[in-house]
Amino acid sequence: MANTACFIIVSRNDIPIYEAEVGSAPKKEEAAHKHQFILHAALDIVQDLAWTTSAMFLKAVDRFNDLVVSVYVTAGHTRLMLLHDSRNEDGIKSFFQEVHELYVKILLNPLYLPGSRITSSHFDTKVRALARKYL
Amino acid sequence: MEPDVSMETGSMIRIAVLPVGGAIPHRQLREYAAMLGRQTRIDLSSISSFYKEHQKSPFAHQPWETGCLRFKYMLGGAPPSPWEDFQSCRKILAVVGLCHCPSSPDLDLVADQFAAACKGYSSALAKRCFAFCPTDSQLEDDGKKRENIILFPPSDRQTQEFHMLTMVQDLAATLLMEFEKWVLRAESTGTILKTPLDSQSSLGSEEVIKAKKRRLGRAQKTIGDYCLLAGSPVDANAHYSTAIELARLTGDVFWHAGALEGSVCALLLDRMDQKDPVLEEEVKYRYYTVIQLYRRSYLQDNAQRVSTVSFELEAALKLARYLCRRELAKEVVELLMGAADGAKSLIDASDRLILYVEIARLFGTLGYQRKAAFFSRQVAQLYLQQDNACAAISAMQVLTMTSNAYHVQSRRANSKPHTSPHELGPSHGDGGKLHPQSVVSLFESQWSTLQMVVLREILMSSVRAGDPLAAWSAAARLLRSFYPLITPAGQSGLASSLAKSAERLPPGTRCADPALPFIRLHSFSLHPSQTDIIKRNPLKKEWWTGSAPSGPFIYTPFSKGGTTNTNKQEMTWIVGEPVQVLVELANPCSFDLIVESIYLSVHSGNFDAFPVSVSLPPNTAKVILLSGIPTKVGPVSIPGCIVHCFGVITEHLFKDVDNLLLGAAQGLVLSDPFRCCGSGKLKNVSIPNISVVPPLPLLVSHAVGGDGATVLYEGEIRDIWISLTNAGTVPVEQAHIALSGKNQDSVVSIAHDTLLSALPLKPGGEVTLPVTLKAWQLSMVDSEIDSSKSSGSTRRISKEGSSPVLVVHYAGPWTHSDQSNNTENSVPPGRRLVVPLNVCVLQGLRFVKARLLSMEIPARITDALPKQLYGDKNPAEVVSRDDSMVKIDPYRGSWELRLLELELSNPTDVVFEVNVSVQLDNRKNEHGMPILNHENADFGYPKTRIDRDYSARVLIPLEHFKLPILDGSFFAKDSRASDAFCSKVSNMAERSAKAELNASINNLISKIKVRWHSGRNSSGELNIKDATQPALQASVMDILLPDPLTFGFRLAKNGATAQINGFPEESIISGDPPSQCVNGSAVKCKGSISAHEMTHMEVLVRNNTKEMIQMSLCVACRDVAGENCTEGNNATVLWAGVLNDIRLEVPPLEEVEHAFSLYFLVPGEYTLQAASVINDATDVLRARARTDSPDEPIFCRGSPFHVHVVGTA
Repeated sequence: MANTACFIIVSRNDIPIYEAEVGSAPKKEEAAHKHQFILHAALDIVQDLAWTTSAMFLKAVDRFNDLVVSVYVTAGHTRLMLLHDSRNEDGIKSFFQEVHELYVKILLNPLYLPGSRITSSHFDTKVRALARKYL
Repeated sequence: MEPDVSMETGSMIRIAVLPVGGAIPHRQLREYAAMLGRQTRIDLSSISSFYKEHQKSPFAHQPWETGCLRFKYMLGGAPPSPWEDFQSCRKILAVVGLCHCPSSPDLDLVADQFAAACKGYSSALAKRCFAFCPTDSQLEDDGKKRENIILFPPSDRQTQEFHMLTMVQDLAATLLMEFEKWVLRAESTGTILKTPLDSQSSLGSEEVIKAKKRRLGRAQKTIGDYCLLAGSPVDANAHYSTAIELARLTGDVFWHAGALEGSVCALLLDRMDQKDPVLEEEVKYRYYTVIQLYRRSYLQDNAQRVSTVSFELEAALKLARYLCRRELAKEVVELLMGAADGAKSLIDASDRLILYVEIARLFGTLGYQRKAAFFSRQVAQLYLQQDNACAAISAMQVLTMTSNAYHVQSRRANSKPHTSPHELGPSHGDGGKLHPQSVVSLFESQWSTLQMVVLREILMSSVRAGDPLAAWSAAARLLRSFYPLITPAGQSGLASSLAKSAERLPPGTRCADPALPFIRLHSFSLHPSQTDIIKRNPLKKEWWTGSAPSGPFIYTPFSKGGTTNTNKQEMTWIVGEPVQVLVELANPCSFDLIVESIYLSVHSGNFDAFPVSVSLPPNTAKVILLSGIPTKVGPVSIPGCIVHCFGVITEHLFKDVDNLLLGAAQGLVLSDPFRCCGSGKLKNVSIPNISVVPPLPLLVSHAVGGDGATVLYEGEIRDIWISLTNAGTVPVEQAHIALSGKNQDSVVSIAHDTLLSALPLKPGGEVTLPVTLKAWQLSMVDSEIDSSKSSGSTRRISKEGSSPVLVVHYAGPWTHSDQSNNTENSVPPGRRLVVPLNVCVLQGLRFVKARLLSMEIPARITDALPKQLYGDKNPAEVVSRDDSMVKIDPYRGSWELRLLELELSNPTDVVFEVNVSVQLDNRKNEHGMPILNHENADFGYPKTRIDRDYSARVLIPLEHFKLPILDGSFFAKDSRASDAFCSKVSNMAERSAKAELNASINNLISKIKVRWHSGRNSSGELNIKDATQPALQASVMDILLPDPLTFGFRLAKNGATAQINGFPEESIISGDPPSQCVNGSAVKCKGSISAHEMTHMEVLVRNNTKEMIQMSLCVACRDVAGENCTEGNNATVLWAGVLNDIRLEVPPLEEVEHAFSLYFLVPGEYTLQAASVINDATDVLRARARTDSPDEPIFCRGSPFHVHVVGTA
């Protein structure tokens, strides 16, 4: 499992709808802020990069110091973004694919307004389990 | 590292700009610096006049026609760089002093100061001091010709700029000549050029040899730099090429890179205007080489002391800047990310700062705002690490720039002004019906965690920088947007920092960012004086009609299309009349919020708002009333409220809160501030279109004697006085009163005339109108409910809102004299005043039931005749003095008496007195004679007192209602009805008969008035109509219709006129002759009838119909036991004359006498009774007898008469 990892889902309106610190490093609020700042900044690059490829998994798109941002863009332009320090690209790809499936299930919920915050605790548990498995 | 580097930097001549002499006012300094700063590019062609070629110029290929020199002004100068030798452009090559003469009168002193200042710049080749605004004396003094001080005579701006241009051109020429000198000297002598990179400590022989080898190459590179500065790229290129060759040969990597960099600069300068891809490729290729070379020149051993990393990064930044275009974004991002990675290896913190600044700028240029913001924040953090106010100010400014990218920008920075009323419309235009997706888009890019961090940093830096307004604004934004994420302690901390910042602000400071409380529009208080403005229809006399939908349908398909989409309601305010708006405030935080003042914010400038102050405890919401007065005619828009809270004045827009609530409803925002304060969900209130109209009259009503509800018992009649006052400034010229609401029929009369006569009602005028009310009956529904609640003592009170309402439509003059500019169609509107007649109806006397009693009282002849009863000839007076409840005259025959018994109960706690009166029309009595002077014959009966919680019965005799004649008129329809009876076919006829019957009953009942009094001034009438109807239903015919025949007996003693009069149905007011007879008989009868004596009697038969009646009459005499005493074996009465089967023919409305004699054998009580069988009865008679068979004989029986026979047996 990666030492540092911050997973975030950004809606097509650029609102973070799900955030999770999935790293094994002890959690610090300062670090969490920093991670979000990096992820937020990476959106600019994702925005351009997403249209240059047909693949959903954009691999590592951005980095800051030793932290790398990997992004997976769904068809609805929801972005699954992971900030990590490990280089396990295959694991990250599988992680994104499985989270995407979970996200689609959330979308299928008629009571969920697309673009609003994901509050399902089940989703959270599953995502964390996937993070332990793949990262 | 240096900020703002680009590939062209190598060609720029650095000039230090220093203020000298006395302190220069900021404005002037700025102005002078700006004037100088504009002269950055000096064409070679323009300086040729100042240029003197002393010897052959080393710049052989100088482009005198197209070339130029580039100046870069360093305001305040710059410290010398250790890398000056490596890149000549880093040298300060000239010094310009700026002097403001008025503040430094002694020019000699200025010259000394300037000379001293120039000492710091050993590399400077030219020095000038520009002195502005010299005084006359200084101008005269100028004759001394001080070196380097140039006076700018005071003149207009254009002239001064021209002057400045000339001076700068002169400076440029001087510099060019100095460059030539330097190059010539360098070529001839050769200089030792060193960088910090070259080890200074150990000058071993090997090192010296190496240095010697390299010297030539370095010299060539430096000459190339000077060529560039002199604006001759071709020359520069030649020198650089040599230098590159030499550096490669000597392995001088660092200088190789420098020369290569210079060559690129020369290349770009040479091909200034063209940007073809080939060139770009070339530049890119060379620069990547440069970066590689710089990286190679990195020496591990002296990495602690000097590092070439900064050159590498600078080169990367230069390339990035050159490439910085959207199409090449990917490449630029790679370069910048590489540069950012290099930050770690930078030793100097300020280098890192510059690096981040440049990266942020380049990302910004690229359009990557979030990236730029990220690096700006890094810059700010570096600034904040330096512990001084200037750095804090810089940090604050940098952070403020990032606030846009993080969507936490201050509203002041928002470019679009919120004042425009049209901007406010759209969100309300759709009536709050936003599509969920567009709701989501309202909250785009809300990264709350980041926003909070950024705002907190802005707050911290601005506190440190000593900018209270920025601190206040940041704290306000933080508190308002993120209060749910902040702990109570944090909230209080923010509140105190708000207060602290406000202390340092001057009072009355405005801030664009609202803090707390949250304010939403609750409603527009619909004061009646505002709502009831009615458009006047000038064409109609009743101008108020047609303004409101008159029909029962709210929607009519015939209305004009334009009016259908008016989902924004209109509202009219009136100049000078206060208006009120309800707003709801919420304080979702955990501290007490004191709003020093809050008032409506109106941008249209025609409204005076009144401030109020509010205190909001933690976690509460409050609805408050804000008022104001419109001052001018025109539209009014209310976008929000101005709030003075935490020491700063802010404007709170309703729209923002509406959006927030919308987001909260969709779960997009953290929390709904109103719901967490316990306030309910409110419908989205749309701001109506408000227009202000000129003053109108204003009527104010109050009830005379207090506005409280008038307490009335059911049926009570009372006058209420309503006073109308014109409180406006315009006279009332038209007024009209109408009724509306429930129980309208309880208003008996309104004094319309009083109102009309008072018009026009001047401002301040008053008119008082009486309104007569009759309290209505409480509905049965009420009673049932209440009686079930508390049986027995039920007190019912009328429901609220059941009172009738007076509607006064009034208006001022048709046109306003002062509003001459108005178009003709703008008639000032009228108004409506609704005056509720506050009536509280209490349950009064309660009607329990009504019964019809019928009894037969036979006439009785005794000695004890009350003569006074007949003492008066005038029966009317008899009546008026008659105190007896029931007018029975038992001596005048016998009646079939019918009494209406009303049972009344008094459930109230006051005493009622009931007074029954029967109102008789001016009609004829049974005899067809007019009632004597009884135009309004009200028969008074004694008052009945009903104590509280008691019941009483009131008897109403019904004998007065007999019709005088039995004729077909009554049965006009009855004849048909009787047919209907026979056939039982026509339901319609039956129904009409019933209706007829009911009408007659109603007619009867309406004549009976039951009035009551209670206390001193309560009086009213009991409504018995409904109650008595069922009681009378069955027997109304018997009550109303007289018998066809009436019988009477009288004594005919000795042929005199003594008689026993007997017209049972005849009232006491029968005709004169009978009353005379009565009089006589009374005297005679005193003697009574004796046994054993022949008694002469007459029976009178009266025909009450209009037709001749043929009949056979029988007279029967019975004793007390009811035995017939004239027949049989033991008859006790002997008789003479005919008693049976007397054939009589009675003409219409006349009477016939038949005489006979009786001889009583035994004294005692006897009863005489006449009966007859009518032959050939008409339909009328049959109907009266209620028979349907034409063969059945009609039998008519008279009332019994008592005969008291005295004597001894």
